[in-house]
Amino acid sequence: MAINLLINGKSVTYNDDPQMPLLWAIRDFAGLTGTKYGCGISQCGACTIHIDGKMVHSCSLPVSAAAGKSITTIEGLSPDGTHPLQLAWEEEDVPQCGYCQAGQIMAAAVFLKENPNPTDDAITQAMKGNICRCGTYIRIHRAIKRAAEINKQALR
Amino acid sequence: MDRRNFLRVTTLAGGGMMLSLHAGAETFIAKNTTVSAEPIAAIPIGDFLMLKPDGEILFQLTKHEMGQGVSTSLAMILSEELGADWQRIKIEFPQANKKRYAALGEHGTGGSNTIIKMMPVLRKAGATVRQMLVEAAAQQWNTTVDACYAEKHFIIHKPSNRKLGFGELAEHASKLGVPTDVKLKEVKDFQLIGKPQSGKLISQVATGQNKYGIDVQVPGVLYALVMRSPVYRGKIRSIDSSKTLAVKGVKKVVTTRSIAGYKEARFEYDIREGVAVIADSYWAAKKGRDVLNVEWDEGINGSRNMEDFEKMVAERNSRRVDPTGFTGNENAVANLEHVKQSLYASYVFPYQLHSLMEPLNCTAHFKGDSCELWLGTQWPEFIINETVRLFNIKEENVQIHLHPSGGGFGRRAFPDMAIEALCISKEAGNVPVKMMWTREDDQQVNAAHCYQRIDYQAALDKDNKLYAWYEKETRTYDWGRKFVAPELTWSGYNIPNIRYDFDKMIEESIVQSTAWRAVMANGTAFSECFMDEVAEKMKQDPLALRLSLLEEGREVNVGHTQKINNTRLIRVLKLVAEKSGWGKSIVEKGKGRGIAVYPYLHGNSYCAMVADVTVQQNKLTVDRVTCAVDCGLVINPSGVKNQIEGGVVWGLTAVLHGGLEIKNGRATKNNFHQNKVLRIDECPKIDVHFIDTDDVNVWGIGELANPVIVPAVLNAVFAATGKRVRKLPVADAMSSA
Repeated sequence: MAINLLINGKSVTYNDDPQMPLLWAIRDFAGLTGTKYGCGISQCGACTIHIDGKMVHSCSLPVSAAAGKSITTIEGLSPDGTHPLQLAWEEEDVPQCGYCQAGQIMAAAVFLKENPNPTDDAITQAMKGNICRCGTYIRIHRAIKRAAEINKQALR
Repeated sequence: MDRRNFLRVTTLAGGGMMLSLHAGAETFIAKNTTVSAEPIAAIPIGDFLMLKPDGEILFQLTKHEMGQGVSTSLAMILSEELGADWQRIKIEFPQANKKRYAALGEHGTGGSNTIIKMMPVLRKAGATVRQMLVEAAAQQWNTTVDACYAEKHFIIHKPSNRKLGFGELAEHASKLGVPTDVKLKEVKDFQLIGKPQSGKLISQVATGQNKYGIDVQVPGVLYALVMRSPVYRGKIRSIDSSKTLAVKGVKKVVTTRSIAGYKEARFEYDIREGVAVIADSYWAAKKGRDVLNVEWDEGINGSRNMEDFEKMVAERNSRRVDPTGFTGNENAVANLEHVKQSLYASYVFPYQLHSLMEPLNCTAHFKGDSCELWLGTQWPEFIINETVRLFNIKEENVQIHLHPSGGGFGRRAFPDMAIEALCISKEAGNVPVKMMWTREDDQQVNAAHCYQRIDYQAALDKDNKLYAWYEKETRTYDWGRKFVAPELTWSGYNIPNIRYDFDKMIEESIVQSTAWRAVMANGTAFSECFMDEVAEKMKQDPLALRLSLLEEGREVNVGHTQKINNTRLIRVLKLVAEKSGWGKSIVEKGKGRGIAVYPYLHGNSYCAMVADVTVQQNKLTVDRVTCAVDCGLVINPSGVKNQIEGGVVWGLTAVLHGGLEIKNGRATKNNFHQNKVLRIDECPKIDVHFIDTDDVNVWGIGELANPVIVPAVLNAVFAATGKRVRKLPVADAMSSA
């Protein structure tokens, strides 16, 4: 049974087990390795993507459930790496090893869209689902605030 | 050192220049790597820096980038001496080659020493190329080299302000003789070093383009998951793979028996015996493994719980052994002529998982008398040596593609994942195989930080002064004990009689021990908790007591190549006291603060911390951590701060959540819902301050912070509650209050 996936605007057909987590279709069949495997049970956030603008842990969604929906991965967040979060990430020198960071950015992107003027507490609560073993939390927090500022400046 | 120039330059086809390193007089035609788009002719050994005609500089990073920021700091050093435009430098990850990069030092990355080792080499290399570019420009302008200087990717003629770009000059420079005497920049003239820079790899990280070992996609690759013995040192008794082989996509089921077991290499490691399911996709391999039936001979560990093991360690640690090192009188703690009061305390730093975000993995292609590997590894040389030893492949036929990793922290220093993957590739019929660990594998059958138990004893004399200090440690791994003796732990206090005894308990360990950020310093830094207990006994302020035991200018030999410098300890203590406002009394119930100071001698850096905590209803919250750091000359202040912040978070996971629960030889927790790690809502405010220093040496900081936060927090818990916690994780101790 062929499952049609629309990832970052491109069509990808998957023909195997409809129960396979979407994560592996993205990584191994569409070849988009920016979305990461970290735990497989929706505990770490490394696999975070957007489906129809909402945040999803792709390790815990069967590929069949994503059929026909609009999937955005980190590679598709911005055509040229200039999403305010990506700019803020550079400004604030956030990453260490970088493995969790795509998931952090994808989670933050949805949060900021829904909360353009976030409080410190709101940011902290929103990002609880994303683990960083290197401990870049303080910078993640600061970069999200900075991205919110960048957004506001752009709107003027 | 060899008087021949260790640097060599060649011209690239297309007009660029390549900087290489001499290893004897040999040259050979290397395989064409994908380093440059231009076709490359004969490449001398050790190419690590390329300047292209368009001005782009490609820096081959021979050390491992695992988040500690070496890709940025090393590139900064090079860029500074070159006089390059920082934006024009690009990082590339080469293939491993023991001979090619020998003059640059090994690939091996760890021990907080990368920047120390690489600084002089990179400065010389950068200055050499700069000088050659200046010479080339001077020739073109028919002027003297003194009239020219390098700045931001140009050579500029001082009197006329004419300039030529690095790229334009590259080909001409590449044909000049390589100078042996080069003048390095003065520290006061540094323009890049010392200023915060954002990491070189951020744009690829933030767009999902950074390729880790787990992301490698080799054409025709198969995927393997291994069911490993759930009990340490267990063996396969029987396998029923009938259901597994019926799963669509599963190709083969093989064992890793041929290479499994305890390995007596330079540093001992272990590979748990296992059964590998090989399939055409990760998902098929997982489904296949889920229905695999293996029975195990569990051996003696199958009946052991962690509590049983801990009793064995406690008993072992109570046995008398000869001192590993001592000052003054080795039996001073028992000398009743002087000793009027004694204190005793036992501390435990238990096994700790690494929980690296990128689970262990390796893509391997065994080809008979050669092999090819793709992975992130801290120590390619260890992999090469073990591959030669275990698979009878010649060193020059081991090809390793090096990748940055999603966390090393010591776990990726060991070659086990590469040996496993090679074995599976061979058993699969010499096909490329990507062997992956699931998170459950990572949490349940992994090697861990060694278990450390330290029993302390302090003796006070009739004047209520510290007369003697005794530490007895039992540990499940050697870590340097074989190599440096006599030895003391890393306190620098002026106590007349200090003794350190060490015993190892490796055979009886119930998991394999391995390197874990800062290694033995994690346990030995408990001396900062015991010092706090002494301060309490003497009714002295913990900071005041420490300062009274330190002396400006005093250096202490503890058996390490670096001595412990009292001045550096005093300086970070005073700075952290100032910045944290130490001394103000805390009246709020449930709040407390603690102080600790410890050096990391392999990196020769010093750190003091003050932790502010709240304990309410037995729940510990770390509110704020103030850090004072002495790491000599700071290359990238932003990078160093990131490491200190990260080290605090790393240590706090061990404090709040860590340890390893084992029942009947098996780890009881299998993923992050059970084995918690620190998340953003538990992260304290962290302030990092650098001391003012004239030191022009760079010192390493990757492992500096995490040993210090532990005693700082435990001391704060005591201040807040009057309760001494002497074992991690804190939650266990608090819940029994």
